[in-house]
Amino acid sequence: MRRVSLFVPCLVDLLLPEIGEAAFALLRRLGVEVVYHEAQTCCGQPAINAGYLPQARKVARHFLKVFGEDEAIVCPAGSCVVTVKHHYPELFADEPDWRTRAESLAPRVYELSQYLVDVLGVEDVGATFGGKIAYHEACHVLRGLGVSEQPKKLVRAVTGAELVPLNAADVCCGFGGEFSLQYPDISEVLVAEKTENFINSQADALVLCEPGCFLNISGYVHRHHPEKKVFHLATLLAGNGKGGGA
Amino acid sequence: MKIRTEQFVEIAREEMKNTRSKAFLGLLPPVINAMRQISLATFPDPDAAQAYGAAIRGEVVTRLPELLEEFERNATARGTKVVWARTAAEANAFVLDLAKKKGVAYVTKGKSMLSEEIGLNDALIDNGVDAIETDLGEFIIQLLKRPPFHLIGPAVNIAVEEIRDLFMEKGILAEPTEDPVALGYAARLYLRDKFHRLEMGVTGVNMAVAETGTIVNVENEGNIRFAKSSPRTQVSIMSLEKVVPTMADALHMIRLLCRNGTGQKMASYISFDTGPRAAGEIDGPEEVYCVIVDNGRADLYDDPVARDVFRCIRCGACANICPVYTKIGGYPYGWAYTGPMGQLLTPLLLGFSGTSDLFRACTLCGVCKSVCPAGVDHPRMLLYYRARDAAGDPRLRSRGRPLKERTLYDLFAWGATHPRLWRQGAKRMRPRVNRGARDGYLSRSVEPLDGWFRSRDLPEMAEKTFHERWKEREGHKAKA
Amino acid sequence: MPYAAREDILGKLKKADRREEAPARPPLPPLTEVGWGTEQLIEKFTENLALQTGVVHRVADRAGALEKLTEIAQAEGWKAVMIATDEVLAPLDLAAWGRTNGIDVLKAADFTARDAFKDAVFDQVDAGITGVDWAVAETGTVALVHDERQPRLVSLAPILNVVVVPVDRILPVYEQALERILAARGGMPAHLNLITGPSMTADIQATPFKGMHGPRRVIALLIG
Repeated sequence: MRRVSLFVPCLVDLLLPEIGEAAFALLRRLGVEVVYHEAQTCCGQPAINAGYLPQARKVARHFLKVFGEDEAIVCPAGSCVVTVKHHYPELFADEPDWRTRAESLAPRVYELSQYLVDVLGVEDVGATFGGKIAYHEACHVLRGLGVSEQPKKLVRAVTGAELVPLNAADVCCGFGGEFSLQYPDISEVLVAEKTENFINSQADALVLCEPGCFLNISGYVHRHHPEKKVFHLATLLAGNGKGGGA
Repeated sequence: MKIRTEQFVEIAREEMKNTRSKAFLGLLPPVINAMRQISLATFPDPDAAQAYGAAIRGEVVTRLPELLEEFERNATARGTKVVWARTAAEANAFVLDLAKKKGVAYVTKGKSMLSEEIGLNDALIDNGVDAIETDLGEFIIQLLKRPPFHLIGPAVNIAVEEIRDLFMEKGILAEPTEDPVALGYAARLYLRDKFHRLEMGVTGVNMAVAETGTIVNVENEGNIRFAKSSPRTQVSIMSLEKVVPTMADALHMIRLLCRNGTGQKMASYISFDTGPRAAGEIDGPEEVYCVIVDNGRADLYDDPVARDVFRCIRCGACANICPVYTKIGGYPYGWAYTGPMGQLLTPLLLGFSGTSDLFRACTLCGVCKSVCPAGVDHPRMLLYYRARDAAGDPRLRSRGRPLKERTLYDLFAWGATHPRLWRQGAKRMRPRVNRGARDGYLSRSVEPLDGWFRSRDLPEMAEKTFHERWKEREGHKAKA
Repeated sequence: MPYAAREDILGKLKKADRREEAPARPPLPPLTEVGWGTEQLIEKFTENLALQTGVVHRVADRAGALEKLTEIAQAEGWKAVMIATDEVLAPLDLAAWGRTNGIDVLKAADFTARDAFKDAVFDQVDAGITGVDWAVAETGTVALVHDERQPRLVSLAPILNVVVVPVDRILPVYEQALERILAARGGMPAHLNLITGPSMTADIQATPFKGMHGPRRVIALLIG
């Protein structure tokens, strides 16, 4: 039996636990043994983005200690995967031991859809959804990891779901972590446009693989278009239809 | 040009309300992006062509001093007078002295961002030599005293009515008209006389070819060609990273520059100048000067991350696709360089204090990097700037970050490395954060999230975190 | 400018930490244009120049070229033109053609002073006529090497530029033109131009406008 270690990003743990539960349930349903390290906290991405590298290194070392021995780590957040895969090795440029540990971990970290499609070779996970779905290409998932086809394959295989095109699907939603708080005016215009494109797509639900974008877009949609749904891919695929949708 | 980088947020806010700016940003960048795609598709393998460009520029960055020496040697051998300037002041003083020595009343300017960076126009005009911008867009914004809105369309957002009034006031237009073509033609006639009587032409440089000592200029209007044909004295000013190794490299970079910049396969005019005019030529300059300007770049060259900014070829593809630029336009960047390339270059040239919005107002979406023909990794560089700023690096003229912010990240790091306390902290915060939540959502403004809540809700902190749910389930299992 | 500036700048650059190697050049597939045959080169040159609003006429021989030129001259009402005296134009004997058609045909050699030449090319002629060194099908581009026979302003200052292109001078890509120029001239000429269509801008309201500073129209006569 395959065994993965589930990395639940801090945003998911604190604000969107349903996404974590969905990922967990989904992996289990596919016959994967899921390990959860209770000592996990955060990958340190906020500190890297804000430029606090010594602080980020502390957090990264903790992460490497917690997850260092796992053969596969799966995470329902593209940007956290980018952090561990791409930023950690650079973060430890001057610390060869930690750099080695970071480099050895990097290939073992997967974004959820990537793991399902590329490693497990699964597309139809047995989920159902009645309606049209648009897919938002989150920046870190698309350009950071090159993951785009995998989530779309998974959506297409959902019984009853129709994947419809989304205009400007690959344009940033304006989240950018601290960016959305420091430059709310610009962020707002971007998320408004993303939402407009979603509405114009005639889709019933917008699906994405990034909790940050999820907070941003679903927060806007909840305020302005409460009838519309935003799902993290994990929630859609776990098929419980509840939590995680705005 | 007045530096206004510190007003980034205010100007951005104004511009996002400006219907004219919005209209052009909604129209122009998407058209250029589409044309860029179409023109790039004429390469047998567009990605390979872009990657090859990145390798050329990467080589330039690594071999910069040697390439500059090779360029100087070959250019000098062909009669170009190569001049080095450490600072903006040295560069400006040289051009001014030369103009005075030649006794010219005015010079024409070809579009040059370096010229805006060093403030050459003011340096000439303040000392009695008129400097006339001759690229139509630059001509208009010079008269209006406004910064560039767009790298290749610096005045593209200006209303025809405003141009009409401006041209009437300056005596450029005889009869009022709002027809863009008629306005352009009026500018042609006005500037034509300046080209006709021209004694000294000043232009920028797109590429300086080390192998042959050749200066390459890319343009559509012909104003640069006039500056290289009509006067007896021609001055090219270049920032030192404009060098390329070979003519073959230059041709490849020209293909990339045109496609990525304007979406053209080829610009109307590419000039290759190797020294002054040949024997027997009736026109063309008797003297050609090439001023290689440092203006702080050599000091940055020792920084292996920062020096990657020297890859940039000023095509502007990054701006046309940037989600932030395409919402706020060029003005908020507050200086000569707009869009992502400005976000990288301006802080290095002006120092981090006073420019920090430029490297922070970015979502790190990475689309700039994905279109860059020169291999610039913008997100990586911006993260580096933020890190150097947080460290208060004096070499980059950073004043550091507020103590409050540092304390917050210290606390974050401490919490994230103490899992039990991390969870206790979250538990303790929950009732405070969730105060006022309705149906699982927070909508009311809470410091410091005011901006977020103006247009967005936020899920409340979960009744039970994932961790807590897991613990319960595991605890339950253990009992069973 | 103090010599110290050069030493300072280069000194700093050379002192910098440069451990990394220049990146290796990745493979670059040859341009498709390289494989084009003669007729395709003519067709693509025509097509690409037309995309830039260039007008292309193909004629069989020199006599045909002169005939076409007369047609253009009459349609445009030419009184005077400035010509280059390059090796493409020389055999056309445009001076004789001008006498026959009552058109002043001026050339650089008619002027001893630069300023008088400039006055003429800016203000006294209806068109500039040039040959080419080479033409490039890739983008409908003409390559002009400027020298005593090819003044810079002839293809630039007049509102109309007529360029005479023998079809055997059309090459697939810029590199091939450059290679031949370097071989013929023993190195880079003082001033080389790659010209693709007329002068243009879109700087006011993104409205395209031809003839911003240079020619508003470019007409190519293909011979052969």
